[in-house]
Amino acid sequence: MLEAKDLTMRYEDGHLAVDHINFQVKKGEIFCMLGANGAGKTTTINLFLNFIDPTEGQPLVDNVDSSKDPLEAKGNIAFVSENVMLYSNFTARQNMDYFAKLGGKPDYTRDDYYAVMRRVGLQEEAFEGKLKNFSKGMRQKIGIAIAILKDANNIILDEPTSGLDPKAAAEFATILNELKEQGKAIFMSTHDIFRAKTFADRVGIMKEGRMVMQRSSQEFLAEDLEKIYLDYMLGKID
Amino acid sequence: MLKHIVLKEVWENISSPKFVFTFLLCTVLIILSAYTGIGNYRADFKEYNSAKALNKQNLDASPSWQALAGLGTKITKPPQVLGTLAAGIQDAVGRNSTVNIAYDPQLVDSKYDSNPVFAIFGNLDLTLIVKIVLSLFAILFTYDAIVGEKERGTLKLALANRVPRDQIILGKAIGSFISLLVPLLIPFLLGLLMLNLYPDISLSGGDWSRIALMFLFYLLYLSVFFTLGLFVSSRTNRSSSSLFILLFIWVILIFVVPKSAVMVANHMSPIPSVHDINSQKDAFLQEIQGSAPQKVAEWREANEPVDGDDPTIFQEKFRAFLTELQQDLTARIDAKNAEVEESFQSKRRRQQMLALNLSRISPASSLTFGALALAKTGIHEHERFLNSIKTYKPIFTKWVNAKMMENLDFNARQQPKPVLDDMPLHEFVPMTLADSFALALPDFVVMILMIIVLFAGAFVSFLRYDIR
Repeated sequence: MLEAKDLTMRYEDGHLAVDHINFQVKKGEIFCMLGANGAGKTTTINLFLNFIDPTEGQPLVDNVDSSKDPLEAKGNIAFVSENVMLYSNFTARQNMDYFAKLGGKPDYTRDDYYAVMRRVGLQEEAFEGKLKNFSKGMRQKIGIAIAILKDANNIILDEPTSGLDPKAAAEFATILNELKEQGKAIFMSTHDIFRAKTFADRVGIMKEGRMVMQRSSQEFLAEDLEKIYLDYMLGKID
Repeated sequence: MLKHIVLKEVWENISSPKFVFTFLLCTVLIILSAYTGIGNYRADFKEYNSAKALNKQNLDASPSWQALAGLGTKITKPPQVLGTLAAGIQDAVGRNSTVNIAYDPQLVDSKYDSNPVFAIFGNLDLTLIVKIVLSLFAILFTYDAIVGEKERGTLKLALANRVPRDQIILGKAIGSFISLLVPLLIPFLLGLLMLNLYPDISLSGGDWSRIALMFLFYLLYLSVFFTLGLFVSSRTNRSSSSLFILLFIWVILIFVVPKSAVMVANHMSPIPSVHDINSQKDAFLQEIQGSAPQKVAEWREANEPVDGDDPTIFQEKFRAFLTELQQDLTARIDAKNAEVEESFQSKRRRQQMLALNLSRISPASSLTFGALALAKTGIHEHERFLNSIKTYKPIFTKWVNAKMMENLDFNARQQPKPVLDDMPLHEFVPMTLADSFALALPDFVVMILMIIVLFAGAFVSFLRYDIR
């Protein structure tokens, strides 16, 4: 489970990037965080991964405060970044092998890697292909595959569908639902309100560091989420 | 965990085009340097043997003791086999010295004197390749070690795991260093193999120890640039900035600091020119030579034989006088030369030490001093050889003067040919390994300190590095 308790981040220059936000992502739940650029979505992720220390509050990962015990917390998070670049001179399998080992899974076999690559929809001929020849969509699939291999309770994804074509994005949604079915707590930051509506169990909207709205799927399906989101973005609702 | 990071780093590097390029270029350069170094050494050794044979021939052909005393004997400096790895100053300084009763011996006839083309192109030895080419490669291997991973997003992905930062930086340092070692080690071993293939080149146990220490020096030197690269890479946010900063520092350390140190030392501690010193010596020599006929005339006036005296008694007394006068004049010339030389050398040593110590800011200077001390091709070995000749000079002159006077026959039309059976020989004991190492030790320590400071800087910077 991921939980933000009064999470706050003020940078040295005084900019308040995250302002006392609170949310929970439970086991078997997908939480989509919407917001414009600079709203504080990525900062929130960075706080959970302890890339930065919070000014106030707690980023909890399975009840472990990531700012107090970052290694323990990170052991329970799989992370997929916006632009999965990886090591371009390595093959897909070599990249997976390295990150699986960093994730504390040193015993996977070649077949295990191939099985996960099939699961994320990567073509067979790409398994031993070098990453430098991969499209963004293919690299994103490897990023997901690495997250699957880590088999952590919680998955954090930072804009994972940006730049993906509709087919790749649909495949991605399928994988995410499978992971949810396995009981993973999934936190995803995105601009893609339509995709969020499709598979999120809950949606949060961030604006200027504040969590201005949270809705469950039952609530936002009954409302016009696009309108609410645009109203927040355009400042019609504060 | 560390093992996985090291292995990844090694594999990532050796599978990159830059590694292939580095390896091929190093192999070509090092083998080329070994080939030219061996060729030069063999030519120098042949020339050395010819010079020795010619000197023996000339000594044997001396028509008289006077001629021998005037023309003297020639001492030739033997080439150093490790000059194939670090040529040092041996091509730029003189190799031959004439030892006679008059002049203060100096080493002249450098290789560059005999063929200035060598001076235009210089030597392509292993030390130069390591100093310039491999240090540049060390930078190219590390300039994006940290910042490049940040730009690619792989650092974020790695640190999203249960991986301590110190393991990442240590793993990267060890892995990248191993990758850099390969392009040096393999061609280096090939070069040594080439050296062994020539039957006329023999390396002693001491030479092998020196080679091992030189290799250690090369590694330390590359480690300095390597840790510098890591440090700058962990202090910047763009790999292009890191590369620019490192190239700037590289130019300063390799080219600017060593040259500037000499210029600064020249200003801070000036010394008289060699011409001033030589003119002082020449003036005294002329004064002595001018005074000799007068002294002879005075003696003759005081001791002119009167009628009835046995002329042979006069001749013996005259011989004794000349012997004493000759020895006295030679001793005075030697003493004056030694005094002038000592004063000059003392000032020169002071300036030299200042220049060397200032230039040690650059690891390139430390590498040069250390490698040349171990290869016995540096300033110290040259000065030791020159000093051995200066020590030999009074021994030779005393012997030849004594022989000259002993065999002086006032009545003979032709003076007797010299017999060289008991001629004292010049002896030179090359620097021992312990002495060479003691000489190289300050540079060894300087480089280790630089590595510790830079790595500690890189380590601390990475622990605080903003990976976002």
